[in-house]
Amino acid sequence: MSSDLLSIARSGAMAARVALDVTAQNIANAASDGYVRRSVRLAELASSGGFGRVGDVSLSGVRLDAVTRNVDAFRQTEVRRTGSDASRASSELAGLQNIETAVEQTSIYPAVVAFETALERLTADPVSSSLRAAVLEDARTMVRTFNIAAQSLASVGEGLRFEATDGVGQVNLLAGELARINLRLARASDATSDQSALLDSRDNLLQRLSGFADISTVFSVDDTVEVRLGGSAGPQLVLGGTATSLAMATAVNGTITFMLGATPVTLSGGALAGKAQALAAVADTSTELNGIANALIAAANAAQAGGAALDGSAGQPLFSGSGASGISLALTTGAGIATAPSGASAGSRDPANLAALRSALSSSDIAGKLDSLLFGISSKVAGRTTTSEALSTIAGSARIALEAQSGVDLDAEAVNLIRFQQAFQASGKAMQVAGTLFDTLLAIR
Amino acid sequence: MTTVSTSAFYERATQAMTVLRARAEGLQAALGRGERLSRSSDDPVAAARLRGLARGDSFAAIGTSNANRAASDLTLTDTALASFAEYITRAKELAVQAANATLTPAQRAGIGTELAQLHGNLVALANARDSAGHALFGGETAGQAFMLDAAGNPAYAGTASAGELPLGDGQSVTRGLTGPEFLNFNTGSSPTDIFAVVKGLADALQGGAADPAQAARDTLGVLDTGLEAVTTVQTVIGARLNWIDLTTQRRTDMSELSANEQAEIGGTDMAATITRLKQALTVLEASQASFAKLSSLSLFDVLR
Repeated sequence: MSSDLLSIARSGAMAARVALDVTAQNIANAASDGYVRRSVRLAELASSGGFGRVGDVSLSGVRLDAVTRNVDAFRQTEVRRTGSDASRASSELAGLQNIETAVEQTSIYPAVVAFETALERLTADPVSSSLRAAVLEDARTMVRTFNIAAQSLASVGEGLRFEATDGVGQVNLLAGELARINLRLARASDATSDQSALLDSRDNLLQRLSGFADISTVFSVDDTVEVRLGGSAGPQLVLGGTATSLAMATAVNGTITFMLGATPVTLSGGALAGKAQALAAVADTSTELNGIANALIAAANAAQAGGAALDGSAGQPLFSGSGASGISLALTTGAGIATAPSGASAGSRDPANLAALRSALSSSDIAGKLDSLLFGISSKVAGRTTTSEALSTIAGSARIALEAQSGVDLDAEAVNLIRFQQAFQASGKAMQVAGTLFDTLLAIR
Repeated sequence: MTTVSTSAFYERATQAMTVLRARAEGLQAALGRGERLSRSSDDPVAAARLRGLARGDSFAAIGTSNANRAASDLTLTDTALASFAEYITRAKELAVQAANATLTPAQRAGIGTELAQLHGNLVALANARDSAGHALFGGETAGQAFMLDAAGNPAYAGTASAGELPLGDGQSVTRGLTGPEFLNFNTGSSPTDIFAVVKGLADALQGGAADPAQAARDTLGVLDTGLEAVTTVQTVIGARLNWIDLTTQRRTDMSELSANEQAEIGGTDMAATITRLKQALTVLEASQASFAKLSSLSLFDVLR
């Protein structure tokens, strides 16, 4: 096969066009999420001389060998792993901060202190109806803050479960999408722009999936991906064209567990794991708060039962109900507060039972227990904040590392534009030369 | 070759500036509030300490109001005791007059009438009210301290002790005196009370005794003992008022300490915070400026 200057130049011009297209594509997608920089790989088109034509010059120009995705699988794995950790930490932290707000911002501790101080103030004049009314109103405020804290905690739990349900839905959606992409990848031919786009979507989906749960991936030869949930030994979420459905179960105390098909799965990363951890903290905090409310009810009611009200009748329970959400004020008037010892006459100023009530409250250490509850939550939040910040820094640098390697550099693309434009112009010049040569030959007469 | 992709550049710039901005805003918020902590998790240990201090402050406030109440009750008691002393002194003067043998029975009867009046005053004074309107000398009784029996003799109807008021920090003060604590005393070895002594003398002078002058002379010594009982408890009341002053002083010191500690733990260190804010802003401005410079550096602008 002999060489043909015109067709060589044509192939050169076409190759330069393709390269310019790829460069333009890179520039256009410089800000696209998950876009991996493409580059063209060109190869010389030439045939070696055959039998008897050893000295033959046979040049056919250039061809497009492949459009390469400049991707580093290790960095992508790192982005997924660190992203998973960071989103677990940040969603757990957000949940814990909501718990802290629910318990602390309801001012439950100041309300308990106000009740205690109102009782101490009543010692000054146990028969004063205004001081008794003050005690009762402070008790009412305290009871309501307990109720509000319990409600806030419940709604924190509800919000977390709602988000977790949404996350499970997202995981299923992404898994279904991945399964479809696996099917198409199995059919796509190598190094085509179609395959590159599919691979971009695949990696993008995997990255989004890793935000919800910790996944481990195995890539096969045809670029399809097998995804397992909860580490490399976990059950399969996506295998080839099938995706198994993830489901969430809510326990009585509001904590959540996950099932992949029929297999229980423990997540250790991703937002879903964070929500599960935060919900466990909500359940713990609720239990502790209920315990404090019950201790308060028991201490106050026992002390009331041992005394006499202002009218000399036996002391009635101060609180009714149980738990932080159920506690309510049982006494309707301040006169019902049993300040006098049992058997005292009506209007007695003897504060013996008031002292018993105060010492019952201080020995059951309601304020101290609340303080340690608040301290527990806030130190958890403080600790998790540090963890979360560290993990998100790590995830951020992993993302930057990946983008530095696979993202588009506009300066480099500008250089490429010039380079391929020049190549195109040069090929055009070659065509012109071919034309001139032809004209020269025609001009012979 | 290490490539610096455009998206990596923007991502890095965003991260760096977000961190700086968040830090500057945190410092600004601390300055605005004047408090270092916006929520417990900012510093759990300090927040727990602040809660404890605030609780102490609440109780100290009750301690202060109790101390004021106790002080006013004790002052009322002190005033009443001074009146008691005056009455008893007056009774003594009258007894001295009556002891004079030159007086006519009618004059003695006149003195006796004044003494009977004095007896009534003493009973009324013993039933005085405290700042809350309760019996001042009745302990913790709901009613009057002394009830008159059929014969017109007052009988103590209060409780055995006056009760204590907590002053905070586990300190307390006895809020007053019960009537018997200073109105009852012993003459020789037999118990009596000031009402009985004054009434006895009044009755004796008004014709109840064969030798009223002798009766008056006998009563003089008993009245002295009664006066001594009153003046003794006046010292007790003075000591209790001093004790309240002491605890008030202590409470003031403690609250000063607590306020200092609260400011130290929870307050914003203005100088340090402003400096750190300035530093964060300087760095933020520098990185914004360098970002603007770098992001405007595009090869596309140069290639024409």
